[in-house]
Amino acid sequence: MTQEGYNPRILGFFCHWCCYAAADSAGVSRYQYPPNVRVIRVMCTGRIDVRFILEAFRCGADGVFTGG
Amino acid sequence: MAEAARQALEDIGVDPGRMELQWASAAEGPRFVELITKCVDSIKEKGPLGTASNEAGDEIQRRLEAAVKAASASKVRTSFGTLSKKFHKEGDYSPEAIREAISAKVTPAFRKERIAQEIKMLLEKGPMSVTKLAKSVGSKKAEFEKIVAPLIKKGVLKEEKKGLALA
Repeated sequence: MTQEGYNPRILGFFCHWCCYAAADSAGVSRYQYPPNVRVIRVMCTGRIDVRFILEAFRCGADGVFTGG
Repeated sequence: MAEAARQALEDIGVDPGRMELQWASAAEGPRFVELITKCVDSIKEKGPLGTASNEAGDEIQRRLEAAVKAASASKVRTSFGTLSKKFHKEGDYSPEAIREAISAKVTPAFRKERIAQEIKMLLEKGPMSVTKLAKSVGSKKAEFEKIVAPLIKKGVLKEEKKGLALA
């Protein structure tokens, strides 16, 4: 489906020390990026489990982005 | 972990490309923006969950529910743990070695557990014939029987005229 205005819901697992800080700095320097990602901050990407990803899809996410 | 998740998603009929694992260090704001934009675009192209050509459509919700239960099952988690111990000992962490080991050990255990969970969920609505059941869980007959036989033995399922039912 490539309809106009389709906004996918993406769940982001961000590492507190890397990707989360990168997102923060991107925000501070006012870069524009799509608002589709809902973020869950984890203290380390190693904390993420297969269950988390499956559960995300079960709860209706269209995609999962894991950022380390 | 990512490989296990990818193979699990493939097993339940979700495009594994929907899950992405990327790196951006704390100083890489622009790179992060690029990654996120790319990821959102690729998901946009795929459309909502279950609509991409290689996905399971209507069955996806039930599959995912079974999958979450299966991923929590002790058998699957033990196979995962044993594997990580093996890797620690041998020290070969190449992507090929990981892919091979996961598809040999974790994915079969996961698939078995997922099918068992799905059978239980389907039978909660009432008895069902074996062919129909095997078709809805996406399993071939020989594999299906291998999974069902121990469940009958344990007394979880029972055979009926119409097919199978919860005991």
